[in-house]
Formats: sequence, structure tokens, C-alpha cells
Amino acid sequence: MRRRPFVLCLVVGAALLLAGAAAAGNGGFAPQTPESPNAGRINDSYKLIALFTGLILILVEAALIAFVIRYRRRGRPRDAEGPQVRGHTRLELIWTALPVLILAGIGSYVFYKLPGIKDVPKARASGERIAIRVDAHQFYWQFTYPNGAVSIDELHAPVNRVVTLDIHSGDVDHSWWVPELGGKFDAIPGKTNRTWFQTHRAGTYRGQCGEFCGIFHAAMRARVVVEPRGAYERWLSSKAKPQLGRSEWTGVCAKCHGLKGQGDYGPNITGSPLLTDRQGFETILRNGRDQPNIPGVMPPVADGWSKQQLDALFAYVESKIVGGGGGG
Amino acid sequence: MAARDTALPGRLPWTQGRVASWVTTVDHKRIGILYIGTSLVFFLVGGVFALLMRAQLATPNEHFVTRDSYNELFTMHGTTMIFLFVVPILAGFANFLVPLMIGARDVAFPRLNALSYWLYLLGGLVLMSSWFASQGAARAGWYSYVPLSEKFFSPGHGQDLWILSIHLTSISSVIGAINFIVTIHNMRARGMSWMRLPLFVWSVEIFAILILIALTELSAGLTLLLLDRQVGTHFFIPDKGGNAVLYQHLFWFFGHPEVYIMVLPAMGIVSEVIPVFSRKPIFGYKAIAFSTVAIGFYSMLVWAHHMFSVGLPTYLNVFFMLSSMTIAVPTGIKIFNWIATTWRGNLIFDTPLLFALGFVGLFTIGGLSGIFLASFPIDWQVTDTYYVVAHMHYVLFGGTAFALFAGLYYWWPKMFGRVLDERLGKTHFWLTFIGFNLTFFPQHMLGLLGMPRRIYTYDHHGLWEAYNLMSSIGSGILALGVLVFLANVVKTARIGRRVGNDPWLADTLEWYTTSPPPAWNFDRVPFVTSARPLRDVRKRLAEVR
Repeated sequence: MRRRPFVLCLVVGAALLLAGAAAAGNGGFAPQTPESPNAGRINDSYKLIALFTGLILILVEAALIAFVIRYRRRGRPRDAEGPQVRGHTRLELIWTALPVLILAGIGSYVFYKLPGIKDVPKARASGERIAIRVDAHQFYWQFTYPNGAVSIDELHAPVNRVVTLDIHSGDVDHSWWVPELGGKFDAIPGKTNRTWFQTHRAGTYRGQCGEFCGIFHAAMRARVVVEPRGAYERWLSSKAKPQLGRSEWTGVCAKCHGLKGQGDYGPNITGSPLLTDRQGFETILRNGRDQPNIPGVMPPVADGWSKQQLDALFAYVESKIVGGGGGG
Repeated sequence: MAARDTALPGRLPWTQGRVASWVTTVDHKRIGILYIGTSLVFFLVGGVFALLMRAQLATPNEHFVTRDSYNELFTMHGTTMIFLFVVPILAGFANFLVPLMIGARDVAFPRLNALSYWLYLLGGLVLMSSWFASQGAARAGWYSYVPLSEKFFSPGHGQDLWILSIHLTSISSVIGAINFIVTIHNMRARGMSWMRLPLFVWSVEIFAILILIALTELSAGLTLLLLDRQVGTHFFIPDKGGNAVLYQHLFWFFGHPEVYIMVLPAMGIVSEVIPVFSRKPIFGYKAIAFSTVAIGFYSMLVWAHHMFSVGLPTYLNVFFMLSSMTIAVPTGIKIFNWIATTWRGNLIFDTPLLFALGFVGLFTIGGLSGIFLASFPIDWQVTDTYYVVAHMHYVLFGGTAFALFAGLYYWWPKMFGRVLDERLGKTHFWLTFIGFNLTFFPQHMLGLLGMPRRIYTYDHHGLWEAYNLMSSIGSGILALGVLVFLANVVKTARIGRRVGNDPWLADTLEWYTTSPPPAWNFDRVPFVTSARPLRDVRKRLAEVR
């Protein structure tokens, strides 16, 4: 009988060890390894709350299991009553006040971390901030750089610099999210949200739309390519021209119509006369199905595009897609 | 009536036929059973939707269902479970139990009560008819955010039928709520003061008040959406001067009280079951009753914690973070009191207690993961991921559904005079408990690994694949548990053990009358002298002997 608390302690200890090991390996027991200060501070807050809630969880479940074992029926008759205790005012006060204190502690810590998560760092020796505009569309991300260059689904940024993102949407709600670089911010039509990141490690970070936005929500992915300053500048000065048409095709058109335009969810368009008619091409891309003669569900994908963007896509489509000539 | 029956033996009026008597009934017990039966059918339907989704997500790049079907499935799963299963089955329990528990003959407005049930059934059929609409069922999520749910992005009538069905079920719920409030306020037995009211009835009172406030507001909001879609207004269309965020406020001002509409009566069930099977009074009756009221009040002040990533001003985020954390306090009080109730008890592990304690253990996990979500910077990471799916199912399945099963096993003998089979009941519990945790615990990890909600497929391997597969296997075990429950129902209906008025030696008045009770409920109602009138009666009888 004396043994039981000991066994319980062993079980709880083992569970703690396991949880600790899992957290260290991060098999999904904490947000992803942060690569930007704001994401890092979110992780710090997460870990503090995990500590307190973990303790409460163990306490509650251990009490529950201990009572279940200790006070089980063991052959007593059904009408054998326990002591008719109706309550205990001091206990009630304790388990009201204690959670209040714990929550106050958690709240204070989160508020202490908040400015470092929310506020964009001031420009410092590491260089000026780079402001990039993010436009969320059904079903792709468009990034516009300070010099007017445009990229689709792939955001380029230099290491160590603070990058601010102004998030817009022209159609439905989306949500910008790259877990390693910070939290979600919704792209809502009629509203601009701002977030930022700064990372010291070059590499490619994966992101995905966080707010259900329609049929290709799952395909609305983003890559953030962080590269050394020189490489970034080179990429930027080329204005991504050679790749623009191609990335527009793969990011905007191919998700629905297939990589070669062979048709997938959307129809086969390789033989469509619109692909060689610059005016008709522009009309359907800018307005989607929202016109009398076009049936179907095509969204106005090129809403807000510049002439250069349309030209780039038109040129790519004319050379690679028309006649099913193989894209990619 | 009786005189006429004896005058014409063998020729009952048509309203008393086997089927017709159920269609024309205004008896709160029969309406309650109709509610529970219908909502269990919708539970099966919604469960099949969920199984199809889990089959689609079991492995990466799966093509089990199409993209469109997947979006329809999660929309219809959420809507079915919330509007056609959880809320109505709680209304069913309330219908059956409230008059019996307070020693009344029926609810205050029996005909309105019948209207409420038939409107609910109609609402359910309208929602299901959405599958046959041009361009398919509603597919903008159970919350149907604008602009996605506007006509331009969701053409076809699936979305309109969705709105119509929610209007119908809302009217049904509001009628029921008025009925419960009037009944509880005016028809309690002599001696039953507010501090002697069974805790389940307390929870129904708050449930009903929240329905009156939240569902009427939702109906108004959805009417604006319907006008946008059908009449050409633009309340929510930004490029015509509307506001897309306004809809989110309107929706969640309903949506968060709705969570407590779905949880409070479940807590009420647990507060009835635990003391009876611990052979003790509930620990801290007043604390539990008042925390029910407190949760009801705070539930109306926390809605924008569903909107932290919208980009609200920081002071608003701070307010909603603090109010959401505050609600953890009364919830904690309840959990501590339930556990204290089992302390030094004589715990009788019949199926109702298993499910009720399962509720306590699992709801605690759902409550604690809620604290992460209430802290808005953390919410920015985990909102709209599988973390939220896990949290929400720990609250609504590990929580509410477990309590509902506890309630079904507990009150089944009162409803039908036969007790559900214990062996099958325990099998049902363990399959559900294991299946539930296997399905939903890994979803916490999936969310933290970056898996958003409502994606129809993924191409990540490794951990994503492993956790998703675990989750899908768990959903199969859960389904097996439900099948065992159905087998139990069939078996009990055929050869179930018949029991007397009070098989569990319970505390509350519904066990004073026969099982099942007569149409008029009680021949005589004892004067109520405490919160446990039936135990008082048993004690007095023992003294007389």
C-alpha cells in the first residue's frame, strides 16, 4: 500500500523525461526552431507557458489517477457512502487565487516579450530596413521589392537585414505564415497588416497560407530565400526578368491548369486562342470569370498587375505553352 | 381522455398510433428523446465526414477525395457537429431532464417545444440538401468567412442553403431557450430554491441565456451575408465600401459563447454523475454554480481571441488575451471541485463514471492548451493550424462528447426502463478513450510542425506523415467505439436488463418517478429540503423502517 505514491512518482518522472527529450529533439512539442528574433521571443513565451501548464497538467492528472486508484470501490456495497463533505472555503479560495497568480505571471512575461515580437527594430548599423509588399491572391503570393521588381511565391531577402512586409489581399482572406520567421498575419482585403523578420542564417524557409482561401489553399505555399547581400543585390538588379514569366506561369497558372497547360482542375488551355491574343489574354487574367461569356470559376488572377508582368507571362506562354510545347 | 378510450376499446384516435404519437407529441420526454435520437443520427453523419477527411490525410499526396469534396466535407463536418449534433443533443437532455429534475409536469410551452424540435429537423434536412445544390455543398468553412462566402467566390446555392439551415436551427434553439428559462424560473417544485437546483439545471439556465444572446446575433449577421449574396448589398464587400473584418466580429461574438453553450450543460452532466458514483455530495456546490454563471458572463467578452492574426490594435489584443485567461479561473474551479468530489469516495466504476472522469482528464488538456492560444503572440504561431484542431476537439469531443456518453449511460434507464450493457459500455469507453487520444493528441504536434488547418493534402514526409497516419488510425478506433455503442443500444432494446425507479441510488428528483416516467411525470412531488431531494427521501424511508 505504501508503494503506490512511489510508483506514481516513477511514472510521472518518466513522463517528464520523455517530454523533455521530445522537446529537445523538437518532434513537434514546441514551435519550430526560430530563425528570427520575433519568432524566438514567441518560442520563449511558449516554453514558459508550457512549463506552468505542464506542472498543472501533471498535478491534476496525478490527483485524478491517484484518487481513482485509492478510492475505487473494492467490493464495498453500492450504498456505502463516503464522508459527506460539502466543500471547503479555504481550499476554494486557494484554487481560485493560485491560478490567478500563475496567469498574472504568464501574462506579465508575454507583455515583457511583446515589444520585441511586434515592433519592427529600428534601423541600425546593420543597414536600412527593406520594405517588401506582399500581395496575397487566389492562389499565389506576389512580392514587390523597393525597386519595383516582382517575384511570385518566392521571396528573396538578404541576411542580417530587417525586412518589413506589408501584407495586402485583393480577393479573399489569406494569412502570411513562415513558422521559423514569426507568426501569422492575415491578408484581408481593405486592410494592410505589417510584420517583419531578420535572420542571420542564409537558407530557404518554407511558408504556407494560414487562412482557408478556397480550392487551392493547400497549394498556396511560399519560400523565403535568404542569401548573402551580394547575391541578393545581383538577383534584385536583374529584376528577376528571365524568371518572372516562368514563375508567374508556375505560381499563378499551373496550379490549376497543370505545368504544361494540359488541364488539371482547370481546363486544358494549350489550344486556347486567348494565349496568342494579347488583348483577350489580359482581359481574362484581369477579370477572371466575372464577365458574361466566360463560364467556370477562374479567379481574376492578374488583378493589379503591371504591364511588364503581363508582358512577361505572355511572352513565356507564347514561347513555351502554346501548342502544348512543354513548359517548366 | 381515459373515459373515451374505455368507451371505444381497440379504436384509439389516430394521434396515438405507433408513429403518429411521436409526430404529434408535445410531451417533453418524447421530444427530448426525439432530439437525442435525431442528433445521434447527425453525429454518425458528421462522423462519416470526419472519417473521409482522415482517410484523405492519412498519407501525403493522397487522392482519396477531390479538393472540392474535401472543402465541402470539413465545412459540413463542423456545421453538422455543432448545429445538428452537440447543441441539439444538449437541448434533448435539457428537454427530457429539466422538468423531471425540478419536479414539473412538463415544460412551460409544450407546443412551442414541439415546434422547436421540428424546426431543428427541418434545418438539418436543409443543410444536408446542400449536397445536392448546384455547384455542390457549402465549402467556405463552418465559419464561412467573407469574402470567400460571398457570391463571387462561392457561386451556387450550397452557401445559401447553409445560411437557411442555420437560420432554422437558430430559431429552433431560441424557442427552446425561452422554454427552458420560463420553466426553470416558474415551475420548480415546492422547496426547490436556487441553491437547491440540480447543477445540470443551473447549466441549462446559462446555456439558454447564452443561446438567446448569441444565436439571435448570429442570425442577424448571416442575414446580412444572405442579403449580400442574393439582393446585391455589400455589407462585407471591401471594394464596394463594406468591411470584411466586421463579419468576423459578428461571427465570433456568436462563436465564442457558442463554445460554452456546447460545454456548460456537458459540465452540468458531469456534476450530476460524479457525486452519484462517488457516493458523496458534490464538492463546492456554490462554487460550481457560480463559476457556471461566471463562465457564461466572460464567454461574451472573449470573442476576438479568434481574431488575433487579423491585425487588431494591440490594446484590443491585450484586452481579449486577459479576458480569455480570466475564463480559465472558473473553469479550473470546476475541475478542482470535481476531483475533490471523488476524494475519499466509494467510486463505483460503472460506464457513466468512466466517461465523466474521462471528461475531467481530457477537458483539462483542452483547457490548458487554451492558455497558449489566449496569449496572442503564441496564437500568431499556432492559430489556424492543427494545434487548434486538437485543442478544440479536446474541449468538444474529449470534453462534451464524453460527458454526453456519460449522460446517455446514466439516464438511459430513466428514458427506456432498461440499463445499457456494462461490458459493451466499458469496451465503448476504452475504444473511445484510446481512439480519441490517438486521433487528436498528435495533431498538437502537427500544428507546431507547421501544418495549417483545412489543407486537403500535403507533401511533407517524416514526422508529418507519421503523426497524420497515427491520427487517421485513431479515427478508425473511435469509429469502432461508436459501433460498439450502437450494438449496445440494439442489444439493450432487445434483451437489456429492466431496472426500477432508481438503479444508481441517485440524488435528484427524476429518479423519484418510474422508469420510464408516466406522461404526467409525478403522482406526487416530495417537498424539497436540500440539493439532494432523493437521498433525503431514501434517508427518511430508512428511518421509518
